[in-house]
Amino acid sequence: MEVKEKKKMKPTMKDFLDDLKLSRRTFMKASAAAGTAVATGAALKPTFRALAEASTAPASAQGEWRAATCQGCTSWCSKQVLVIDGRAVKARGNPNSKVNGGASCPRVHLAMQQVYDPDRVKTPMKRTNPKKGRNEDPGFVPISWDEALDTIADKIMELRNNNETHKYMLMRGRYSYMRDILYDRMTKIIGSPNNISHSSLCAEAEKFGPFYTEGYWGYRQYDVENARCITVWGADPLAANRQVSYYSSVWGKAIDRAHIAVVEPRLSATAAKADEWFPIKPGEDGALAVAFAHVLLTEGLWYKPFVGDFKDGVNKFVAGQEVNEEDFEELYTHGIVKWWNLELKDRTAEWAAEKTGLTAKQITRHAREMGMDAPHSISWLGGGPCMQVRGGYTAMAVHALNGIVGAVDNVGGTLKSNKEYTSKFPKPDDFMDEIAKKGKKHEKIDQRGRLQFPCINAGKSGKGVITNNAADGILNEDPNEIKVAIAYMNNFAFSAPQPERWERALSKIPFLAHITTNASEFSWFADIVLPNTHHMFEKWGYVKSIGNGYRQVTLLQPVIEPVWDYKTDETEIPWLIAEKLAERGFPNLLDHYKEYKDPETGKAPTNEKEFALYSLKYATQKLWDPAKHKGGDKFNGWEEFRQTGVWNSDPYPYRKRWGKMKKTKTKKFEFYSETLKEALQKHADKHETTIDKVLEVCFYQARGEMAFVPHYEEPYVLGDEAEYPFVHVDYKSRLNREGRSANCMWYHEFKDVDPGDERWDDVAKFNPIDAKKIGIKSGDRIRLISPTGKLECTAKLWEGVRPGTIAKCYGQGHWVYGRLASKEFGKVPRGGNNNDLIPAQYERLSGSTAYYAVTRLKVEKV
Amino acid sequence: MPKYAMVIDLQSCVGCGACSIACKNENNLSEGIFWSSKITETVGTFPNVRYHYMPTLCNHCEDAPCVRGCPTQAMHKLDNGITMHDTKKCIGCRYCMYNCPYGVISFNWEKPFKFWRDDEPVLKGCTPSPQEVVRKVNNGTATPYYNPARAETLAGARPKGVVEKCTFCDHRVKRGELPYCVEACPANARVFGDLENGTHEIKFLLGKFRAFRLKEHLGTKPKVYYIRNFNPAAYDRTKGGV
Repeated sequence: MEVKEKKKMKPTMKDFLDDLKLSRRTFMKASAAAGTAVATGAALKPTFRALAEASTAPASAQGEWRAATCQGCTSWCSKQVLVIDGRAVKARGNPNSKVNGGASCPRVHLAMQQVYDPDRVKTPMKRTNPKKGRNEDPGFVPISWDEALDTIADKIMELRNNNETHKYMLMRGRYSYMRDILYDRMTKIIGSPNNISHSSLCAEAEKFGPFYTEGYWGYRQYDVENARCITVWGADPLAANRQVSYYSSVWGKAIDRAHIAVVEPRLSATAAKADEWFPIKPGEDGALAVAFAHVLLTEGLWYKPFVGDFKDGVNKFVAGQEVNEEDFEELYTHGIVKWWNLELKDRTAEWAAEKTGLTAKQITRHAREMGMDAPHSISWLGGGPCMQVRGGYTAMAVHALNGIVGAVDNVGGTLKSNKEYTSKFPKPDDFMDEIAKKGKKHEKIDQRGRLQFPCINAGKSGKGVITNNAADGILNEDPNEIKVAIAYMNNFAFSAPQPERWERALSKIPFLAHITTNASEFSWFADIVLPNTHHMFEKWGYVKSIGNGYRQVTLLQPVIEPVWDYKTDETEIPWLIAEKLAERGFPNLLDHYKEYKDPETGKAPTNEKEFALYSLKYATQKLWDPAKHKGGDKFNGWEEFRQTGVWNSDPYPYRKRWGKMKKTKTKKFEFYSETLKEALQKHADKHETTIDKVLEVCFYQARGEMAFVPHYEEPYVLGDEAEYPFVHVDYKSRLNREGRSANCMWYHEFKDVDPGDERWDDVAKFNPIDAKKIGIKSGDRIRLISPTGKLECTAKLWEGVRPGTIAKCYGQGHWVYGRLASKEFGKVPRGGNNNDLIPAQYERLSGSTAYYAVTRLKVEKV
Repeated sequence: MPKYAMVIDLQSCVGCGACSIACKNENNLSEGIFWSSKITETVGTFPNVRYHYMPTLCNHCEDAPCVRGCPTQAMHKLDNGITMHDTKKCIGCRYCMYNCPYGVISFNWEKPFKFWRDDEPVLKGCTPSPQEVVRKVNNGTATPYYNPARAETLAGARPKGVVEKCTFCDHRVKRGELPYCVEACPANARVFGDLENGTHEIKFLLGKFRAFRLKEHLGTKPKVYYIRNFNPAAYDRTKGGV
């Protein structure tokens, strides 16, 4: 359905502030006249009283606020849910959390419409149409849990009996830290290397920057309340990822104190609340970052207590001139002069202005602002600049600015995660038999670690996942075919660029089981679909997140009575499969799971429900058991922890890592990355080649020493400019609960909270100058075409878009998932899926999928 | 008797819409009905362009034209200053809507919650229908996440043929709780309180800033005040030039 809203002329602010068409005198007269002139007949009589009367029930049941966790985005805020008679009514921030406190971004409210989504799968179901394809109705019919689990166990046993367990695959989407039960332990004990996470669809390239400068592979927290200058790069913290609730709660104060600039090709929600918007040309972020660095050095604005200084105190960073390394005495950093000589000396503001489409004046002015506010000057790295084909070095360049201004690990700067004390699950090794050990040795299906896919995460070749490439691995049976796959809370056939490859890959897998809440695009290719619990209301688990100088461990709990017989992806389902495998003569997995004993009673679990609870208590024992307390909040036992719902770490220990950055080669902040040099060298050695060759096959331009310093690379954008005149700009909605909220009424009713977007529509936004050139106006139905795909949506003219680009939000374009998400379930999408436009390209050093500045578009009227 | 008012700090507001969505949740608003809303505007031409967001809701005018024009006194003022509506007295004439200069009153053209009354599943036998979910979860009343607290002072969900609007969450205020939009605002941009209380935070804000109200010249004396600017951008000072 669709709610038709009457098309009225939109009021403007002017109408509300000084509408002088109507004076007070005439207005008051008119309203009084209307009142006295009332007739009795003309009015519409209320015809439906029943509901009103029935619902005036006494509010005896006020309900109870129960602790929960929202995974609508990866902020992972601690929440509370109001439960009345076993029913979820509303949600709010958990006041016990030091990360998000009582604050809740808008997306939490949509969770009510998710958990009670009528289009959630209510029973296990199986496919009756053996043909698989987007246009093949799977013919799903309901089956019992028993039948579903029997079938899955039989398929796994077949692989084990044939010694081909490596043809088993587990695909992971959104997870909690119970993940290892299903993702790691079960895959290993069955005997496969193929546990493939979604992580590189998320933001691995973002971690590349901080790792190869300060040795930290993770997301940062930004100390905005103490900052004096905040430069946000392709992140939209007031709308999407991460700690949206927390940053929303302090932004008003942050603007009071800090100069805030947002670098982004479209006017984002955060840009609307900033002092300055840098509407940069897509893909040119690196140019701006190195130009900022150039100005900071030439003007002597680096933070000397962190970086050090010239021995004679005279600034020798002069544009175009090399500096003698001997002249500079570095403190907590490594290679500032090398970086200057190799990259920065010619990267003037004027040079960057030409690349970025900004002005040299704006660039210089802001660089000075950054430097004058040092060290309380944040360079905030988002996914925008680095989830690009050549984004790895941009991630380093943007993050390295924090090094220049001494904001790393500092008050008002960029912080890593605080310590927490959860425990790992028992090791699987003793339960892996010869078949399993042999099976696990095979190469992974995503081809990570090959010459052209270094994925050198945290310094190690082939350590990271290259999720989207798994589709090609499956399609080409390279390294091998996949015969049996289980996937949970992922939707690669929608969420991964060029999803048509996934449609073919999934069609090719002989047996696919999908654990999901809704029948998604991915489920459409499944043989068996298992109904999953909703993380916020129905599942045991925990997640960790950082913000506000704290780390929290927040609990997922079953707080309501589930409507149907759902089971939990990461605990109950693997236990039940383990039981079925044991029945079939393979008890290893069940025996392993029985080791997850309740720390309070020492009892081993005897069923899936106990297993779900005991494994959680096991993993979090050091947080709630006063005898094992190591830091942070202290509880008197499990029950108190469960009711509170969240453990907070100790406050952030500022500047403790200066000179002690454990994971960098030099233990210092590296402008010249000895750490990256070593990682690249190892990868090259593994393939008996040179680093230059590695860079070449990864589409990087750098050669020689340039490979080890943050530097500018030209954007790598697919499509010929003559044929495809526009560059695509993708972004995320502040109402996206991952890609899963398009079946919520409130998503569509409030879609216009994304600047420039419209209710009940999916609009591609054009700058009016471009629209005029190609004869398009707001409301036109259009087709966007990239070199690898197309979609249909509505055109909208908006000044917040850089000419030469088309900005469109991700989140719609589902062709299944539910009655609101799709226009016609199983057939016609509502809106367009941006991934249909985006080619499957990678930032190969990290394995990240490229979403930004990666393709050009052309436009047709429909 | 308190006189309730709200101050909205536009600088703190992040334009996220949490207030309006939470309002729908708290007050059981049907599809297409908004008690809390916003006016947005994009000003300027690229690259000198800005987006502005101004939350709106019933202004609870002291001299409320909706009340003056209501023939049945369904729309009325409470002693605490809240402009209240009585669903049972409403005859659906919509004069209040006509009289309200702010467009914040809605009319129920249809039986509420059409979405939830649908009896068709998308996958027969494998997914329920919306109606089935409401039946199972909430005995067939309204929506599965229906908030019973709303029914303490107003029809829990409003029937076809009557108007409805924001009540400053009178049912919550009565219990000493803040209006839900105020509680739900992640940015603490909404401050609620009693104008009669001289030491109250809203008095402080109204004294510190030059507050404005919507269409003040109409003399309705709104009780929703706005302070500061959604977009307090810094800029380089010059004297311009000729």
